[in-house]
Amino acid sequence: MEKSLFDKYGGFSVVSKIVLDLYDRLLDDDDVGPFFDEIDMARIVDHQTKFVSSLMGGPASYTDEQIRKMHAHLTIHQLHFDKLQGLLRATLADHGVVPEDQDAILAAFEARRTLVTE
Amino acid sequence: MTIAAINEQLLRAIGVGVALLDLQSLRLRFCNDTFRGWFGEIEVGSNLLEQFQDFDTEALRAALAGEGRYTTETTFRLRRRTMTVAMDFNRALDEDEPIAVLVCQNISRIKELESMIDSYSMMVERNTREIKREKEQVEKLLLNMMPRSVYEEYKTFGIVTPRLYDPVSVVCIDFIGFSEMVSTHEPAVIVSELNDIYTAFDRIGEQFGCARIRAVGDLYIGVAGLPDPTDDHAQAAANAAIRFMRYLNQRNGSHPIQWRCRVGIASGAVVGSVVGVQKYIYDVFGPAVIAASQLRYKAEPMTISGNRAVVERLGDEFTATEAGSITLSDGSEETVFRIAAEMRAQQER
Repeated sequence: MEKSLFDKYGGFSVVSKIVLDLYDRLLDDDDVGPFFDEIDMARIVDHQTKFVSSLMGGPASYTDEQIRKMHAHLTIHQLHFDKLQGLLRATLADHGVVPEDQDAILAAFEARRTLVTE
Repeated sequence: MTIAAINEQLLRAIGVGVALLDLQSLRLRFCNDTFRGWFGEIEVGSNLLEQFQDFDTEALRAALAGEGRYTTETTFRLRRRTMTVAMDFNRALDEDEPIAVLVCQNISRIKELESMIDSYSMMVERNTREIKREKEQVEKLLLNMMPRSVYEEYKTFGIVTPRLYDPVSVVCIDFIGFSEMVSTHEPAVIVSELNDIYTAFDRIGEQFGCARIRAVGDLYIGVAGLPDPTDDHAQAAANAAIRFMRYLNQRNGSHPIQWRCRVGIASGAVVGSVVGVQKYIYDVFGPAVIAASQLRYKAEPMTISGNRAVVERLGDEFTATEAGSITLSDGSEETVFRIAAEMRAQQER
């Protein structure tokens, strides 16, 4: 069986660093950050952990319907989605994820665009 | 620059938040830049502790008056980030005046990591539960395909050693006119009927110790005396076979499609093994299987044919009458016996 990117990059010990770095960048970003203004820290971290894990083939997966429901109450524009995409790519690159794998992860992310954007 | 000035500069610049409070009034005397960065501009002389939600001032006073030390945590938002700061108060003297030294460490990262570990461990636990459930399903499936002892061997060693079981009794059943039935009825109807019948056969087999080994189309094969040898394998097979027919008779009385079977029973040797590498299956083959299969051709509808080896092991619960002979694959002749339940025994039941 082919190794998932989650395992290829060292499993949770490495992915956890990606998650926390992404968490910092999200909160610092003035376009994406406000979505998390009223959200409890534990929930944001939980969300980011599952988000990155599922994109990298780790122990989390969501159906399209789940993703749609989770974001239904938010007004997410293309700009927000693009911004998060950029933050995600930069974070992955800074943690040594090679461009080819970045593309694979970003493609998985892009595939969900229509589920969450207006 | 004096040592005191250097100290003060250091104190202002370090990443730890430091504040000095008057011990009596708990009003602020001094705080460094890091402290201000977290808690905002607080005027010297103001009541610092009012800043913190739900701060237990009484507990602080009591602890400082007692052992001189008090530790707590506070959580607040800095921009949109949830900050958690560990606060450590220590009683001290500043030029003979009693003060409290407050040292604050930013433990937000630790809290974030804790949350992430919680999140991850829940994911892993859920996955572990799913894997366990899947494993149980696979186990159930494999236990349908092979006896438990064989499964245990397969699980432990990854292979199953072919084993000779001698003697056992094999029951072979098929249905008269099955091909015509298949072509005259809807496939779903035939499958549903067979499903019904085989489920009943499995239940009867389980009751009498004659486990199904194979069911291919209308051919059903069960074996008694395997994997654990038993003395009464012939009775077990004959008892199961008689119940199979009774069940069919009863069923035919209330169902539009009539199922009539013929049964062959043979005692003898078989080899049991897992066959195949990718698509493996537990199978039983050998002289007793071949004999039972041939004997069934000799059986009239809804009767049982058996070989001498079976008949010799049957008790007086059964009657056996000679009914011709068959030529086995090795060319030898084998007497065929028609086996039925002894009437007296049947009535007593």
